Amino acid sequence: MSLAIQIEALTVSYGSKMILRNVYLDIQAGQIYGILGPNGAGKSTLFKAILELIEPNRGEIKVFGESLDDVRNRVAYIPQKDEVDWSFPATVQDVVLMGRYPYKKFYQVINKKDRAIADRVMDQIGISHLRSRQIGQLSGGQQQRVFIARALAQEADIMFLDEPFVGVDATTEAHIMDLLRSQAAEGKTFLMIHHDLSKVDEYFDQIVLLNKRIAAVGPSSTTFTEENIKRTYGPQSKLLDID
Amino acid sequence: MVEFLELIQSPWALRALAASVLVGLMLGMLGTFIVLRNMSLIGDALAHSVLPGVIIAFMMMGIHSLSLFIGAVVAGLICAFAITWIQKQGHAKNDAAIGIVYTAMFSIGVICISAISRKDGVHVDLKDFLFGNILGVSNEDLWLSSIIFVGIVLAILVFYRHLFLSTFQEAVAKVMGVKVDLVHYFLLLLLSFAVVASLRTVGIILVVAMLVTPASTALLLSNNMKRVIFISALLGMISAAGGLMLAIVWDTTPGPVMAVLSAVIYGLAVIFAPDRGKLAQWLHQRRLADKITTEDILKYLLKNGGVASRSHIANGLELGTSALRRQLSRMIGKGMLQQDAQGVVLTQVGEDRASQLIRAHRLWETYLVNQVGMTESQIHLEAEDQEHHLTEDVLDHVDELLGFPDTDPHGSPIPSKRTPLGTVLAQLSAGSKAIVKRRQLRHAAMQYLWESEIAPNSELEVLKVDGAQLTLRVDDQRTFSMSMDLAEQLQVIAE
Repeated sequence: MSLAIQIEALTVSYGSKMILRNVYLDIQAGQIYGILGPNGAGKSTLFKAILELIEPNRGEIKVFGESLDDVRNRVAYIPQKDEVDWSFPATVQDVVLMGRYPYKKFYQVINKKDRAIADRVMDQIGISHLRSRQIGQLSGGQQQRVFIARALAQEADIMFLDEPFVGVDATTEAHIMDLLRSQAAEGKTFLMIHHDLSKVDEYFDQIVLLNKRIAAVGPSSTTFTEENIKRTYGPQSKLLDID
Repeated sequence: MVEFLELIQSPWALRALAASVLVGLMLGMLGTFIVLRNMSLIGDALAHSVLPGVIIAFMMMGIHSLSLFIGAVVAGLICAFAITWIQKQGHAKNDAAIGIVYTAMFSIGVICISAISRKDGVHVDLKDFLFGNILGVSNEDLWLSSIIFVGIVLAILVFYRHLFLSTFQEAVAKVMGVKVDLVHYFLLLLLSFAVVASLRTVGIILVVAMLVTPASTALLLSNNMKRVIFISALLGMISAAGGLMLAIVWDTTPGPVMAVLSAVIYGLAVIFAPDRGKLAQWLHQRRLADKITTEDILKYLLKNGGVASRSHIANGLELGTSALRRQLSRMIGKGMLQQDAQGVVLTQVGEDRASQLIRAHRLWETYLVNQVGMTESQIHLEAEDQEHHLTEDVLDHVDELLGFPDTDPHGSPIPSKRTPLGTVLAQLSAGSKAIVKRRQLRHAAMQYLWESEIAPNSELEVLKVDGAQLTLRVDDQRTFSMSMDLAEQLQVIAE
């Protein structure tokens, strides 16, 4: 299996506060990863460090064996819902077409081929009928699908999803998971920050249990154990409503 | 009027008008990005900071458009970098950093003005910089403004995607490889160009008005970025040109009139904008409230066997008499109700609509229990609220999703398109209950009800179905039998 991401000795701190401590992590291609851990465990920080949105104190990160700058087209980031200005004057189609921006030099325009790709993706995700809606006029599930559509239009090979299921109903959540699974079968890699511990086995091929440092990594079937959860969330964890 | 027309045709007025139009357009376009990026305060700071640059350039080279331009741009960039530097050092809060920089720079400009006035005996009026001096627009100024205008339009066209994406989601733009810091400074550079062009028309103090107000108005009027930019430019132009003409008529300084005019347009948009305006929202709320009352009345009537007196409705739904009168006459007008001696009666149209509502309510309750996992005690109020908003389309989907259920979680039948709630007694099975409808289609049924002393609205419970015979209990009191033939004709509403 080929490696999508390699992280070595990653340490990040804000001021004097250590957020991530000496993280070593290999992410395999074609898998759906769940990043789990308590609040303040550094889950979003891990994403931001890989995506070079923050400067780490130390550590080396390779994406598909190269530095991020060389593979930006292949990487898509879907931030948390509350980081989006939903009143922004952008339509569904505008957002999906943004997926084509990385392929354009500044003098090139969005052409027929780009529009055809956006159309195909919107069809695939089932949001074609919403194309001229402003993004604030969508349901939570539709909003999330728009951003996934943008990542697909970008033909990205890795997607970073920061809590994509906040404010999304159970039916849509299942639809989105089906979609991600079919994409993973085609070799795409997904990293998803997730809060709900109830469906971990069902959703993820691999899990990363994180609390400032890596507590456990591996296939969810063998890694998602009571012992590992306690190591991550602390011995008095009340989140353990699992068998 | 004739005087005004003559005045407006004089060369200085035409130059002033052209300059105003250009400034209105360019500030309107840039303003869209400035407002969406929450940079209004930086825009204001930049405008103020240009003053020392202009004055120092004037001290060095005299009045010359190009030197003033260069001085202004340099000052603008110093301001932008100084603000960012202080913010990154973390010594001061973001907006405090802006305040520190621009007040200091503006003050340096004011000190320089008094210095040259004293030394060289040249009269430079601070007021001209603060509020503009439209009479002083020279051909050279106009050329410079035109070039700046074309430059800004080209920059927005070429870098539209960079501006759009980095304004919408900075982090995503960064991941996609957009140099967002560069975009930020580029925008500030364009803005300092625009400020220079605006010095003569609106002046330093009011640049921010022309930058922020038309853009905010445009954002109320459209949801589409390209249209927002276009509308903002258009409104900027209208405010600037209109403000100039009004100022000529009233013989006052144009800048403030432009600012007030753009604010008035904003105020009108706040009230009258098609979707987000207060009036549209108020009408929408009112229509929604009317719709909900109408539908509550329909349901109330159906559950009472299709008839009720006005006072019963008023009490049952806690409605004021005048509101009820208005509502009922509208419903009669729409053919949902008829007035008769005992009160208002549901027509077929009204009954169908009421039946639809009950379908919505009961399907939604079933959905909440089966799919969402809520408990029976939680669902009624939820459905009471939602029933008014669910479309036929959505309901058909929900119905299919649930596998076309016959009853809701409370055990009440869900009317479907095939079996409406209003039915005949013979359709009911043993154990179910129904209310006798006031409006009977067959005379024989009316006759029978009259003879057996069963009042409309009576509750019937089917005890036993036995071939041609039906055993019933009326109002939990007496029991009696009815032939199937008659039951086929008796209109009831299943409970």
